[in-house]
Amino acid sequence: MLAFVIKRVIQSIVVLFIMSLIVFSMINLVGDPVDMLVNPESLPEEIDRVRRDFGLDQPVHVQYWKFLTGAISGDLGNSFIFGRPALALIAERFPATLELATCALILAVSVGLPLGIYAGLNPDGWGARIIMGGSVLGISIPTFWLGLMMIIIFSVFLGWLPVSGRGDTANFLGIESSIFTLDGLRHLILPAINLSLFKISIVIRLTRAGVEEVMALDFIKFARARGLSSQRIIRAHLLPNILIPIITVLAIEFGTLIAFATVTESVFAWPGVGKLVIDAIVNLDRPIVVAYLLFVVTLFLILNLIVDIIYAALDPRVRLQGDRQ
Amino acid sequence: MKKVQIASSSIQDNAKIGNALLENFSQPTTLLSGGLLFLVALCAIFAPLIAPTNPYNLAVVSIMDSRLAPGEEMFDGTVAWLGTDGAGRDILSAILFGLRTSLIVAVCSALIALIIGLLVGLIAAFFGGRTDTFLMRIVDIQLSFPAILVALVLLAVLGKGIDKVIIALVIVQWAIYARTVRATAIVERRKEYIEAATCLRLSNFRIIWKHLLPNSISPLIVLATLQTAHSISIEATLSFLGVGVPITEPSLGSLISNGFDYILSGAYWITLFPGIMLLATVAAINIFGDRLRVLLNPRLSK
Repeated sequence: MLAFVIKRVIQSIVVLFIMSLIVFSMINLVGDPVDMLVNPESLPEEIDRVRRDFGLDQPVHVQYWKFLTGAISGDLGNSFIFGRPALALIAERFPATLELATCALILAVSVGLPLGIYAGLNPDGWGARIIMGGSVLGISIPTFWLGLMMIIIFSVFLGWLPVSGRGDTANFLGIESSIFTLDGLRHLILPAINLSLFKISIVIRLTRAGVEEVMALDFIKFARARGLSSQRIIRAHLLPNILIPIITVLAIEFGTLIAFATVTESVFAWPGVGKLVIDAIVNLDRPIVVAYLLFVVTLFLILNLIVDIIYAALDPRVRLQGDRQ
Repeated sequence: MKKVQIASSSIQDNAKIGNALLENFSQPTTLLSGGLLFLVALCAIFAPLIAPTNPYNLAVVSIMDSRLAPGEEMFDGTVAWLGTDGAGRDILSAILFGLRTSLIVAVCSALIALIIGLLVGLIAAFFGGRTDTFLMRIVDIQLSFPAILVALVLLAVLGKGIDKVIIALVIVQWAIYARTVRATAIVERRKEYIEAATCLRLSNFRIIWKHLLPNSISPLIVLATLQTAHSISIEATLSFLGVGVPITEPSLGSLISNGFDYILSGAYWITLFPGIMLLATVAAINIFGDRLRVLLNPRLSK
């Protein structure tokens, strides 16, 4: 196990390094951020001064070396637009994204799991057909369009819920979140549902497939023969067996939720990292784009590592690469 | 003798597949999704012929017609059945042209990604060893990041444009094809006919091209179908975020994005109708692909 973790950490550092190199060199090929920063009527001397101040007059490899030496000490450069450390800006916005993604994940499991189990247990019923049809629709429906439709229906026509923003936040047990205020909840509900719908569909399909597979196995038949109630069969025999693949998939899906939050955040103007990075891409705010990317890559590398370890821990048949015994 | 046997068994297989096809295609879901897909493809191909107006022809588009509700008459007397957008373009025509752009991007990227993935997967499976480990490690790393994020960053770097969106989608998708092909090909690789071909000292290229490729390609058909739906969705999302197809040649995604500015004033039709088209296309492909998978996978069709 230790050998595996060490190997993966080294591999992750190599991946991070290569990603930073690729992103940094490629992002320097597009556009001129100075154009976005200075007033179009500025004097050439003024433009040159801005360019020098941001170190943009130097060749790319010099800029990259400066970035790399900074990155090792945890400094990913200052945002061109905000003039503050990129990493600090991301850290500031990340809780909002995390809150949205967590709510969406909880929704996905608490709605998807029961529906999937129901559909798996009664595969030929009308209920199952409606659920499965709904899940195909949920996978096909583009998240951003659904978000717009939700705004049109619930905010513009019905006027029940606010259109955008995060609303009031409150501090509870040291966590600053909008779950704890009514206004915050009203702001949270649409984006959370919007983000979770795709995942609900995935959880439904995964669960149903798992249920159908496990229900056909012998130990379920024996449990039935022993006269156990179907409630008990589901809770004690079915659930533990279908949960392993679902948990591992969900851990990875949590990462994609954070990535997909970019879309939902843009639709609902949710002040998270996703919104930050979209604005940064449009404004050519390179340090933010690079910092966000390295941040997300790190997040994914950690999540994948955790998933592999959980998987090996839950299923003794899995042997990790690097384990020689 | 052996060759004859193989041939006859494959004929039987074909007959079996043919029967299953007929049975499957007579199901209402398949018929419906297939029919819808066919209709969508026709609309996209013949867009310039069936669209009431040409949304790119600036001489025809008039700002006087801007934001007409569905069914209202435009300045020149044509009825805008689905309304017009902020610039006075007929939504119906814009949808037909947008569908064309969306489908071109999705189909092109799916095909190119398929070819690259096929090559990588076959090479990995055929040569095995270090080549395999190296290529599959790249695939693993690539697949561990969500497609939308990779595409977003690539387009931030590449800039806007249809060709750039296609490049980004190819980079996002090739790995999944490579992994699927390799999984099938590695099983085929160990079979006797490959061994026989190696004994005949056929060149590696010939073995891969003539023997390994035809036997490893079938799982890709379903995957390519589902991936096309996926890439339509990703392209629309990217265009919505403003990094995809430029507004001068709008896809369904950029049409929806364009309508975003008007939803608060109640002009719902600019976002609603392109979205329905998008949903219908993606859902039809997904359902059709799903049926195809059940059909081609003997384990699933009990």
